[in-house]
Amino acid sequence: MAYEAVIGLEIHVQLNAATKLFCDCPNRPGDDPNRNICPVCLWLPGVAPQLSRTALEKGVLACLALNCTIQPESAFDQKVYYYPDLPKGYQLSQHHQPLARDGWVEIIDADNQLKRLRIHHIHLEEDVAKLVHETDGRTPISLVDFNRAGTPLIEIVSEPDMRSPHDAMAYVKTLRAQLRYTGCAECSLEQGTLRVDANISVRPRGSDQLNTKVEVKNMNSIRNVGDAIAYEIERQSACMEKGTPITLHTRLWDPDKRMTVPMRAKFEGPCIPDPSVARIVIDAPWLAEIKQRLPEMPAQKIARFIKDFGLTPDEAAAMTAEREWATLFEATSDHGLPPRKVANWISTRLIPVLRERRQSLQETRLSADRFAALLDLLEQGTINAQAAKEVLPQLLDSDDPPETIVARGGFAQVSAGDELEALVDRVIAQHPADVQDFRNGNPKVLGFLMGQAMKASGGKANPKRLKELLGTKLGAA
Amino acid sequence: MSQTHTQHTPAVPDNPAAGPLAGKRVAHQPNWSVRGHLCSAGCRALEGYRALEDATLIARLQTAGAVLANPAAMAELGFGLHGDTTVQPVAQGAADLALVNDTLGEARVAAAAHGMFGFKPSYGRVSRCGMIDLVPSMACPGFIAAGPQAILDALAAVAGPDPADVAMPDDCREIPFDARPSDTDPLQNAGVIIQSLASLDGTARRAFEAALARLAAAGVAVQEIDLPDYPLFRDTHQVIAAVEASSSAGKFDGVRYGYRAPTAKHWNEMYLETRKSAFGPLLKALLFQGAYLQFDNYAAFEQAARLRRRLVDALAGHLKKVDLLVMPTRNPATDAATATTIAAIYDAFAYTLPANLAGLPALHLPGPQTTDAQDPGLQLIGRRLDDTRLLALGVRMADFEKEGR
Ligand SMILES: [Zn+2]
Repeated sequence: MAYEAVIGLEIHVQLNAATKLFCDCPNRPGDDPNRNICPVCLWLPGVAPQLSRTALEKGVLACLALNCTIQPESAFDQKVYYYPDLPKGYQLSQHHQPLARDGWVEIIDADNQLKRLRIHHIHLEEDVAKLVHETDGRTPISLVDFNRAGTPLIEIVSEPDMRSPHDAMAYVKTLRAQLRYTGCAECSLEQGTLRVDANISVRPRGSDQLNTKVEVKNMNSIRNVGDAIAYEIERQSACMEKGTPITLHTRLWDPDKRMTVPMRAKFEGPCIPDPSVARIVIDAPWLAEIKQRLPEMPAQKIARFIKDFGLTPDEAAAMTAEREWATLFEATSDHGLPPRKVANWISTRLIPVLRERRQSLQETRLSADRFAALLDLLEQGTINAQAAKEVLPQLLDSDDPPETIVARGGFAQVSAGDELEALVDRVIAQHPADVQDFRNGNPKVLGFLMGQAMKASGGKANPKRLKELLGTKLGAA
Repeated sequence: MSQTHTQHTPAVPDNPAAGPLAGKRVAHQPNWSVRGHLCSAGCRALEGYRALEDATLIARLQTAGAVLANPAAMAELGFGLHGDTTVQPVAQGAADLALVNDTLGEARVAAAAHGMFGFKPSYGRVSRCGMIDLVPSMACPGFIAAGPQAILDALAAVAGPDPADVAMPDDCREIPFDARPSDTDPLQNAGVIIQSLASLDGTARRAFEAALARLAAAGVAVQEIDLPDYPLFRDTHQVIAAVEASSSAGKFDGVRYGYRAPTAKHWNEMYLETRKSAFGPLLKALLFQGAYLQFDNYAAFEQAARLRRRLVDALAGHLKKVDLLVMPTRNPATDAATATTIAAIYDAFAYTLPANLAGLPALHLPGPQTTDAQDPGLQLIGRRLDDTRLLALGVRMADFEKEGR
């Protein structure tokens, strides 16, 4: 029998607000243990938690980026469970009245069709503390680091609209890109600032029943999300085939063994309204003000880049993957440079350099003006592509104009006829055997001679002129 | 502590000797955070815990020149009055004011037992920042004094908006507190909730009627009010209080401060042992009830939350027609000081808990024979934020009776 999967994702995203959700401690969980703590996030008796306005704004912006309807009123509930990572015996989360409902994102599914995936709701919640287990000593001990306690999260709960690992991966990618566009969150699966839990069930293809679902956790890359879901679909289909009942439980993805394994049943506590945190009431003028801050989303940008700049869909997608790349592309193209060439330079030259340096564009000194100036020098023939490639990293580290860097490094291309002619003559004179070989009809030797001439110029020869000259000289003799 | 953490309250008052409460002696319970001082709230779970900051109320009292006595003994986390000694120094003339955590009506009932005036402000009128309590949506600082003017003076110094009390309702945050009563607009019409009188016996009933006559003598017209939902207050309060208590007490886990059971093999056992020994039988019973409602009967909690809204609206509706509501303060057949079961406690506070449930200001006035054990007391419940006019009526009645006597 053919089966199909029904997949819903619950995604936790850490908001990059400067402070925690209910106190003014820095939102830097990675600092030395228990440095960023206060009476509120330790939940000492008598404290009053104050909702951070910045976290609320960032949360609202994130919801808007995912096309959700912001609720005029929302409120915090206490999600009760006892564990040493939870300072007050409950987690403050929005269970009954979430911040936003009814959102969606659009993906391209495996059949290349546009598919809309619905979001049930998004709510705000606080993160819990981190437990560190030390088993080295005679008595194993567990230490608690409260730096993470109370840091702001949103949880994005999808409808069970996904049908394949592809859908799920595309959903996470799209959602991540849109959230990153807002500047509210870093959304790194690897660093744990975006965490995916998947609810998966299978059913006979064509059926509309919803079967018992299994929750899968611990996937720390998009690849792992796809693999874990694929594994789980396979496993559950095999169970269905054998007639083994599927029970509601949670499994962990083991990235080394590449399989899901059952984990200890988690205690699910109740949620009661919290009386100490003020209700959130959002009025229209405030919401309108936040909406103003919502940038153009990737899908709109792609459409516009194709239409206005003549990019191919792939090029447009590459340019919009990060908001800062899109901004650079647009600003550079606005200097009158050919847009497809700009796009090509960003994806094949600039992005690999940034990846290698593990930097975002923002962390470098590069501006659109200076990037355009560099490409302009290339366009004008002042430098060649090789030189441009060497100048580029220097633009990332200093504010010098590219012209200065070119002059200082002697990167300017040699185009002058006399100089090139002397060079070509010298190469021909130095390699008589190869010249003879070429003249005997071996065209491959031309490449070698070109290389020798370029090397002799220190890489600065204008390659087009050089090739012309070399061809003329060899043919003429 | 992180470097960005700021203390909410100033450490040293500027010139306490010149303050409006200069030299006033204040008895308080150990549920108020006083920086550097032990703060057990009468509960083993907080054994050895020292507050890191001053509560807003404490800081304002000190700034106004008041002097804090050593903390008194109190019932566990301020639920009920069993073992509470806070009112005694005021009754003995050794203190001018007592602060009693008021969740069920503790300040009014303690005052009634000692012939004092007891007052619960509108919920949020006085900052709750730095107060340890069990039922955050109902607990308020309660005030006890020999006369209503002392309470009004204390409120003048401590009541009003507090940016640090972020759960303060908007009305309290926006409207500054004014302790000067208006001469032109005194409270004139009172409504007696007839359903509240059903459980008083003959003697108590006569004492209450005498108290109503005092009200009439002071110029307040008294009429009867019919509130058929009255019997719902008690259960509604109990369900919500149990659920909130179960959550509030969750932070007492022995992980970060307070009592931790010494012998535990792993943390689950540490939790169980710690919480087993951290709370007394009454609190445990309440927490069990709360946990049952949270985990197994959430629908009952939701129903209680809806009933609370209905009761709040019913009281507000009556308070549109009359200036204040009148009830006894306690049933003389009960004794809050010896009540150690949930049922006995709810019997002892049956008349006072409606004001806690609804967040309304309520004043207990002692009878003329201040130590009469059969006196149910006179409890005046005002409109929300009508604290000043309510206390002004208390002042008027006290003056009137002093002259008359
Ligand atoms: Zn903090």
